[in-house]
Amino acid sequence: MTDIRFEGVGKVYPDGTRAVSDLNLNIGEGEFTVLVGPSGCGKTTALRMIAGLEEVSEGRIWIGGDEVNDVEPRKRDVAMVFQNYALYPHMTVFDNIAFPLQNRRMPKPEVRSRVEHAASVLGLTELLQRRPKTLSGGQRQRVAMGRAIVRQPRAFLMDEPLSNLDANLRVQMRAEIARLQRDLAVTTVYVTHDQVEAMTMGSRIAVMRKGVLQHEGPPQDLYDRPANLFVATFIGSPAMNLMRARLESIDGRLTCFVGDQQFELAAELLRAKPHLEAYRGRDVALGVRPEHIGPTVAGRPQLRGVVQLVESLGSERLVHVEIAAEPVLTDEILELKRDIDEAAVQTLQQGHDEHKVLLIARFSPEATTSAGEPVAICLNAQRLHFFDLTTGEALH
Amino acid sequence: MLFRYTHRTVAREFVLIATALVFCIPLYLLLTMSLKTTSEVYTAPLSLPKSLNFSSYSNAWKNAGPSGMGHALFVSATMTVGSVVCLIAIGSLTAYTLARRTGRMSTFLYLLFLIGIILPFQLGMIPLYVVMRDVGLTGTVFGMIVLYTGMLMPLTVFLYTGFIRVLPRAYEEAAQVDGANLRRTYTRVVFPLLRPVTGTVAVLTGIIIWNDFFLPLVFLSGTNNEPIPVALYSFVGNYVSQWNVIFAAVAISVLPILIFYLFAQRELIRGFAGGIRG
Repeated sequence: MTDIRFEGVGKVYPDGTRAVSDLNLNIGEGEFTVLVGPSGCGKTTALRMIAGLEEVSEGRIWIGGDEVNDVEPRKRDVAMVFQNYALYPHMTVFDNIAFPLQNRRMPKPEVRSRVEHAASVLGLTELLQRRPKTLSGGQRQRVAMGRAIVRQPRAFLMDEPLSNLDANLRVQMRAEIARLQRDLAVTTVYVTHDQVEAMTMGSRIAVMRKGVLQHEGPPQDLYDRPANLFVATFIGSPAMNLMRARLESIDGRLTCFVGDQQFELAAELLRAKPHLEAYRGRDVALGVRPEHIGPTVAGRPQLRGVVQLVESLGSERLVHVEIAAEPVLTDEILELKRDIDEAAVQTLQQGHDEHKVLLIARFSPEATTSAGEPVAICLNAQRLHFFDLTTGEALH
Repeated sequence: MLFRYTHRTVAREFVLIATALVFCIPLYLLLTMSLKTTSEVYTAPLSLPKSLNFSSYSNAWKNAGPSGMGHALFVSATMTVGSVVCLIAIGSLTAYTLARRTGRMSTFLYLLFLIGIILPFQLGMIPLYVVMRDVGLTGTVFGMIVLYTGMLMPLTVFLYTGFIRVLPRAYEEAAQVDGANLRRTYTRVVFPLLRPVTGTVAVLTGIIIWNDFFLPLVFLSGTNNEPIPVALYSFVGNYVSQWNVIFAAVAISVLPILIFYLFAQRELIRGFAGGIRG
């Protein structure tokens, strides 16, 4: 049985930089777990610790029931696909794939048959005598995969293997890797900063921030019930809409104030999130996914705003609606915006100064809204998310 | 792109051809002088030879050094190849360790090698000679290989270290995860990746050793193991120098290098200019 277990794992570099803190994570046998997070969140360090390429400063790592803290990388029996593939440029494709087998002193005929089998699985048979520099990005990626699968290792470790490919190829390779992993049923740890990759490929996702595991679970769980503001904003594209709101009691009923607008919270929502009661009279962060905003429906919470932009994607329309409200400006939100672009931070701060929030709503392609129009939008009362503004924790 | 053959191009080509001709003058002198008779060398040094006189070549071949030109060539080649092989084998391994270990000790050792490049050899020549004589390494080709390996090691380590420092670690890490031990990682992955700099080291140190006159003069003079530069010197006297024979001997000694360049030209240029691709 090859499961991978982190037990209180930490990594501190000699200069004092802490890359990973108290990581506790179980990756079950045959699972495809994606470590995801913005740059510098410690995901690659965690992966390299499994491979043995980084020493573990604190805690223990187990692979298939064996503690591997002091085991050399070559004796861990894991295969790794690197971000730049790390194909040996002086070897042919055949030799690249055969290298791990030759290291085990496997008989030549067996090496040949295994390499040929791996090549046929990955469609590389015609390329076996070529050098890596003569291959396209996608072909190199396949060779790197070939080198990983040929050994039949206990686990696959993949460090952003698709980040050097163009968008179309990335979608294709995403599916190929997922299929291959499913067929081989080998425990896989995949690192990416792309949440779409994480959502589409992983059977489980672990979101990291500043070396700390934020939330781990099946993709849909993370999407539907994010543990905190960071996960809520990081998972999902377009990201969850966030705005400051105040919870007040009017005639004994919990009412949510967004800017100068208000709506009553439904009883079912309060039953599902009993913690909200404790926030009566306090400010919270209100979150709503783009697909949970739609045209007005009687009896549902409504917000008024002005349409700023309509992006037609064919299958749907993304409507950007500006409403009078205060944006949520917490450390995690700023960090994520900064990861995108410094201009995104400025836009958010400008919104804060002008008390404006831009919401993105996913409308059907038939919606006739156009830019500049005043519009009333409706929030799906059952799918609202609330977060503590100080801790960022989700209120359930 | 359309190539336009303009007046400017003509002028540029003319300048290039003229420059190339200037560079050919030493070769012209070398060949014409070597084919002239002794009297012709002094009466018409720059003109073409009246008749082709190959006797200087046979004279040079037979009388250069104590054992003739053939033996001198053999000594030079053994010394050069032996030293270059040792420099590459030891230098690349040393540099690999220095470049990959980031501790203070490796920085200190690296600086020590740098000092080795800066310090003039002549400063340590006498103690070095004494030590070499005491251990019985003077007068032997093996001794010269040891001497050159030590002397050119700082330059070799400097060149290799600079190259390895910018070599991505991912290749070595991939090899480790692929199950290779340190020796196999080095021999199968790292060393082949050092090919461009190995070419540079081989050419640079090879030329230095092949052309060196001073060290063999000090350490090999008077023995049967004189390399080409020292052997050539046997034709230079206090009162009479046989320039036609000297030039013929130089032409013979240049020949192996020319042949090497001719065949390895592409590899060498790639070595000097290349990085790692793929």
